[in-house]
Amino acid sequence: MDRSDHDRQPHPREDEHEFAEERESLWRITLGPTIWAFHFAISYAAVSVYCFRFERMFEMGWLRASLIAMTLAMLVAIAWIGWRAFLRWDVRGTGEFSNPEGSAEDRHQFLGHAGFLLALVSFIGVVYDTLPLILLGSCR
Amino acid sequence: MTDRSIPAGELAPEGIYPPTEEMLREPVPEEVQRGQKERLARVWKTPEGWRYWTAVNNSEVGVWYTMTAFVFMLIAGVMALLMRLQLWVPENDLISADLFNQLFTMHGSAMMFLFAVPMFEAISILLLPGLLGARDMPFPRLSAYGYWSFLIGGVFVIGSILFSAAPKAGWFMYPPLATLELGIGSDIWLLGLSFIEVASIAAAVELIVGALKCRPPGMRVNVMPLYAWYVLVVGGMILFAFPPLIAGDFLFELERSFDWPFFDHTRGGDPMLWQHLFWIFGHPEVYIIFLPSIAIAAMIVPTVARRPILGYSWIVLSAVGTGFLSFGLWVHHMFTTGLPNISLGFFSAASEAVVIPTGIQLFAFVATLIAGRVVMTLPMLWIAGALAIFTAGGLTGVMIAIAPFDWQVHDTYFIVAHLHYTLFGGMVFPVIAGVYYFFPFFRKKMLSDRLGRWAFWLIFTGFNITFLPMHLTGLLGMPRRVYTYPEGLGIDWLNQISTAGSFIVAAGFAVFAWDIVRPKKNQPQIERNPWGAGTLEWSHEVPEAKWGVRSIPHITSRYPLWDQPEIVERMDAGRYYLPDAEEGLRETIVTSVIDARPIQVQRVTGPAYITIWAAAFTGGAFILPTFHIYGPAIVSAAFAVVCILYWLWTSTARPPEKDMKDVGLGLSLPTYAAGPQAVGWWAVWITMLGDATAFASLVFGVFFYWTSNTAFPPPGAEHASGYLVALATAAFAAAWALTRGARGLNRAGRVGLARGALALAPLMTLAGMGGFILSVLDLDPTSHVYPAMMWALMVWIVAHGLVGTIMQGYCLAGSLFGKLTPRYDADLWNVTLFWHFLGLTALVTGAMIGLVPRLM
Repeated sequence: MDRSDHDRQPHPREDEHEFAEERESLWRITLGPTIWAFHFAISYAAVSVYCFRFERMFEMGWLRASLIAMTLAMLVAIAWIGWRAFLRWDVRGTGEFSNPEGSAEDRHQFLGHAGFLLALVSFIGVVYDTLPLILLGSCR
Repeated sequence: MTDRSIPAGELAPEGIYPPTEEMLREPVPEEVQRGQKERLARVWKTPEGWRYWTAVNNSEVGVWYTMTAFVFMLIAGVMALLMRLQLWVPENDLISADLFNQLFTMHGSAMMFLFAVPMFEAISILLLPGLLGARDMPFPRLSAYGYWSFLIGGVFVIGSILFSAAPKAGWFMYPPLATLELGIGSDIWLLGLSFIEVASIAAAVELIVGALKCRPPGMRVNVMPLYAWYVLVVGGMILFAFPPLIAGDFLFELERSFDWPFFDHTRGGDPMLWQHLFWIFGHPEVYIIFLPSIAIAAMIVPTVARRPILGYSWIVLSAVGTGFLSFGLWVHHMFTTGLPNISLGFFSAASEAVVIPTGIQLFAFVATLIAGRVVMTLPMLWIAGALAIFTAGGLTGVMIAIAPFDWQVHDTYFIVAHLHYTLFGGMVFPVIAGVYYFFPFFRKKMLSDRLGRWAFWLIFTGFNITFLPMHLTGLLGMPRRVYTYPEGLGIDWLNQISTAGSFIVAAGFAVFAWDIVRPKKNQPQIERNPWGAGTLEWSHEVPEAKWGVRSIPHITSRYPLWDQPEIVERMDAGRYYLPDAEEGLRETIVTSVIDARPIQVQRVTGPAYITIWAAAFTGGAFILPTFHIYGPAIVSAAFAVVCILYWLWTSTARPPEKDMKDVGLGLSLPTYAAGPQAVGWWAVWITMLGDATAFASLVFGVFFYWTSNTAFPPPGAEHASGYLVALATAAFAAAWALTRGARGLNRAGRVGLARGALALAPLMTLAGMGGFILSVLDLDPTSHVYPAMMWALMVWIVAHGLVGTIMQGYCLAGSLFGKLTPRYDADLWNVTLFWHFLGLTALVTGAMIGLVPRLM
């Protein structure tokens, strides 16, 4: 395994360089939870606006259907994020479940692992938050 | 010699990194070591005599902060004892209903705002530099300013009860009770606590930048102590949780002072908006309290288990995951407000989902303990108690997250029992564990094992005797916050048990407090690493050395003291980075965010009176309006601004005496940074993120009124002048463009043009402010919530515009007096960043005042 990355000179404008190198995984660890947050906020806002302003004008059916469709799309997105993170973790390639070394390789795999686990929790969270849409058919 | 044509902020590190083993093996000559130590000791000396209070070092400010929060906790605890005495028998008349109201309001407010949240900040300020092998936090004077603000605000709020003027509408201050209440209690709560919230945000900025940028070289994100991960998550949560409350306080105080009807339903307002804003803050706050305390457990558990933590990534997952999910729970405090059931369902589901990450971290601790060889030390005893109590509180939490169950027990003693189980198990016990564990680190003495065990068993049993029966008291129907109850409801004996238990808890705290304050002069010197821990803070020197770390090490492991042989000897010998202070300046190393590669030497600030003055005048600006004294309050605010400007001008982003500095081990680092390389830029970015959240809360308010009120804006309402709003927005946009342009011109060396732009920009800002004021001048903010909301947005943008003009003037002055040059332009970068946010705020404000209401 490559541990030689210990030995690289600090780059001028190190932060920008690093962000370029690892930008995706830095953002990716919070990407799953961010999708959860959007799912939660959109569902809640849409239902609230409907219940307070439009309940008498039309049935809730189409709103539920479109929110559930949105949920499916978001679940696919989270699953894809989780899969990409799983590949970065590379547990099958290295056989290492944890990455405690101070090397670039371990940092890379650690961010993959954390992103994967967060995608998992976000997936469950989105499923939970969709249950009211499935189980309850009206505002009351 | 460095190239003078490159801006100082663009200089790159030069030399060798990382150090080789041969370099580290080379001994440092004795006389060199002696000279270095002398210079370091002189630079980091704590001021003596009455000048002691000018100290800003984290080891002093952290101790003051911790002890002040602890004293506030004891006072709030005494209030709880008084309430328990009153409830000892039915129909008791020991204290009046009015005093009882003040007591429970102050007990909750003080425990939350003066103890739990500040305690996190205090402990983190105290510990974080040690954990990260840094000399100090990046902005020591900001810590000191935060502390003094906290002290002034805290004494003001808690002292009000001595004058029977304390708030009495409950710690969440629901309108209309709290808006209609006479007297100044509610104002004390709103203004005093807003002041403290500002201090909290200051601490959050400091801690986030500290954890991201002040780690030792080599400490990548996957090897940093879990405590630092938690600090990052909690700091981020504070930035998104506190601003909605600040926005709520802003609206609330405008209603109390000027009768703008935000929460008055007779004029279109809605008390529910307060509930939303309060609990968007209030529920994440529970996790803001819980996570850092459980982070202490994450430091203690590996030490007592004598092995690395199991599931490091899993714990990071649960910290980050909890941080996110905790923002989807707030309405579970509002299950009985009549919101649509389907809305309640979302929050019920999220409340159940948050159990998953919370559970994972507890399982990770248990797994580590099972896999290790546990030494049952005193800190571990407290952690064990914490896990037991928190789990019980968590289980009742799962119950009340189910809306129909909550309808039955809402506002009963069942809730009181639940919240005390979570807070004692999730905060009080782990924090006390942390005090026993870290006391040798920050006081260089041990606490008594015997007294500690006494305190534990008294508090643990007393706690359960007090709060376990309350579940039943609540199920039998006793509502919370009643000052007495009639005989014969079957709750008399339960209340008596609770009262008896509360005094056992108090006895335990008395033992604990005595253990902390009792004289320890004659105690033997402690071992350097008394618990045999593996993390960096236990490389501390005994007896205490004020410089923090003798030299800043290169880290390659999560447990350097276990895994990196000779690290402590080499640190002591000054073998690592920054072993000296030749220039007589306080310094620490700044590293890159992800991989902690060294990028800069940061000069940090030293002792000063100015922070105390700044805090005192800021306090005046918040406290005087409580008594409707507005003139002197404005003067006080102006003095606060002057103090802060003096502090920034004299001690931040000064051009250094040389551009590069040899930090040892063959590495030279720049001494100046600007833009995204600089810690100051990060601090502005983080602060403005919080500010933008507060503004977003106001915008949310407009849409909230639109959904909840069918007549918002009311039919036929007068709107703000569209032309003036458009002109004002354009003026702000011009001011933004001039500021941004000045940055580019200055760096290109066209100083004259840059100064011209910086002189013109404040004029444009003032024009924009005037335009916004005039646009709403004809609307009457007391008549209806719609004009009131437009005025509130105007006040927000004008206040920010004022800050923006001061910043532009500051840069102009900097350019004229040689502080800001084409090579040294950090101030202009920071101001431009502020203006990016302000420009966006102005655009949104223009749309919200001029455009959106016409479309609603």
